[in-house]
Amino acid sequence: MSIKNTYIPYQMRIAKITEEAPLVRTYRLEFVNPEEAKQFSFKAGQFAEYGILGEGESTFCIASSPTREGYIECTFRSSGRVTKALASCELNDVITLRGPYGNTFPIEEWYGKDIVFITGGIGLPPLRCVIWNLLDQRDKFGKISIYYGARTTKDLVYKYELEEWQDRGDIDLFVTVDPGGEIPEWKGHVGFVPTILEQNAPSSTNAIAIVAGPPILIKMSMPILAKNGFANDKIYTTLENRMKCGVGKCGHCTVGKTYVCKDGPVFTYEEVLKMPAEY
Amino acid sequence: METKLLKSSDIATLFDNLIKSGKVVIAPVAKKSGKVFFEQVVSYDQIETDYIQTQFSAKSVVFPKVEELFTYKKTEEGIEIKDTLSQIPETVVWGLRPCDSSAFDYISEFFLKENPDAYFAKRKELTTLITISCAEADDACFCTSVDLNPGSTAGSDILLTKMGGEYYVEVVSEKGKAIIENSANLFVDSPIKSKDEFLAKLKTQFSLEEIKEKIKTAYDNAQWKHESMGCYGCGACAFACPTCTCFDIQDESNGDEGSRKRCWDACGLSLFTKHNSGHNPRKNQTERRRQRLMHKFKYSVENLGIVSCVGCGRCIRVCPAHLNIFENILNVTKE
Repeated sequence: MSIKNTYIPYQMRIAKITEEAPLVRTYRLEFVNPEEAKQFSFKAGQFAEYGILGEGESTFCIASSPTREGYIECTFRSSGRVTKALASCELNDVITLRGPYGNTFPIEEWYGKDIVFITGGIGLPPLRCVIWNLLDQRDKFGKISIYYGARTTKDLVYKYELEEWQDRGDIDLFVTVDPGGEIPEWKGHVGFVPTILEQNAPSSTNAIAIVAGPPILIKMSMPILAKNGFANDKIYTTLENRMKCGVGKCGHCTVGKTYVCKDGPVFTYEEVLKMPAEY
Repeated sequence: METKLLKSSDIATLFDNLIKSGKVVIAPVAKKSGKVFFEQVVSYDQIETDYIQTQFSAKSVVFPKVEELFTYKKTEEGIEIKDTLSQIPETVVWGLRPCDSSAFDYISEFFLKENPDAYFAKRKELTTLITISCAEADDACFCTSVDLNPGSTAGSDILLTKMGGEYYVEVVSEKGKAIIENSANLFVDSPIKSKDEFLAKLKTQFSLEEIKEKIKTAYDNAQWKHESMGCYGCGACAFACPTCTCFDIQDESNGDEGSRKRCWDACGLSLFTKHNSGHNPRKNQTERRRQRLMHKFKYSVENLGIVSCVGCGRCIRVCPAHLNIFENILNVTKE
């Protein structure tokens, strides 16, 4: 029988470690077996199961862009058994990976449009994949704006890339920290992401909005997008329900009849509104 | 479908032939508590013939409570990962009830239709189901309410129905045919017979068509709260259920060796959907009970076209809070 056994993981070597924020790390992962690297491909929006043998698996998005070949990156916060074990890894340690799983952002459908990213905290990693995917073919898109915030300046992830994006001149970048989370040297905005979004009122003409992050950020941003004329089918999000298998079998991520892992994780807000509010 | 007759006095011989064929034979065995469980047996004397329903279903044969997905070993040269597929044995399940065999149809559709599951596929391929019709039912049985009956052949490879001093044998599949051919001298051909007078009589609790229609709009029914009030969130219903398929994945390590396993899980457990942040999409027991019932009667119909409840009644018998699935369903689909 030639059914692919999805539970047998790839072995991945940690090729680079970046300390992003307190408890948040990024790993660059390379395939131990170069043959597997050749066969592996993914698209923006997909996720994977990252594991430590003996500890278990944890689900995160692929945070690097498919346009950057030869490796994948993941960014995670150390908080549970598996992520703590992952966080204690050192350079060249081998971890397991299954995937890629899930659907993708329909990037080709967005050619010629303005793109607005709205996110907070470690909601940026799933969007970073899309952002670099767009930046690597910058001429295919209109205006790109990014609204990103964190509780404090320390909690911002990809600080080095935020600077790079700021300097490029072809992105409208709004980086903000929650009131009280700033330090004296902070030159960015102060205020919650939805507030900054409201003040800058991005145009919805020929535009797509992509929102990811804590549920409260999504909840507060949606009315502002609506006020600016974004139709629900022009707003995308990626749901992050608890997952174990990644292929629509274990049942953990279900929202009504929907399996977030295989039917998503990328949904338009219009699709989200049709689901029971169990996400 | 071929139909045959088997003398009651020959049933032990048929059973012995199965054992001799070298397959693993799983059959009902009575415990001191009086409860009956499916277990591996080596002779007909071990098995229990007088039971309405086994405590757990036979689904563990194709979807074990704990299943090793692979083993690993860390060595100087690297990490060795080996799957466990080659260890899956040829198995015959003897004496399951028609509701349980029809549950195999549903779980096969679930595990194999989209993103087919390698472990389930292998187990299913190597499993033969010899089902025995029900001559008796209890108050928890409600197969006739979900369009099945105590003599349904759905999912079975062979269905045996006791008719006085003999068994009426329906040979449903090629796998079933192979079993019959292996003991050909025990069987004689029979015309198609009506089984009705030998089957248990059950009260039909609801019209499935009506329930399927009404549950479409039942999500916001105020009755859910009342119907789930007693639920402890123990998950016993899911473990007893022949169609529940949810699982967790866990690692077990012993130094540099170990394995990754999947084990049954249940949507009724409070941690089932809980995020590491503390956020829980189904935050109370009402939402979790609703998920379980809506999945059986609505979501699995939308996804696979099949109601994923076979009316075996186990969830009713095991529930420590005496929740009754057909009463719950009736109450949440009232206007």
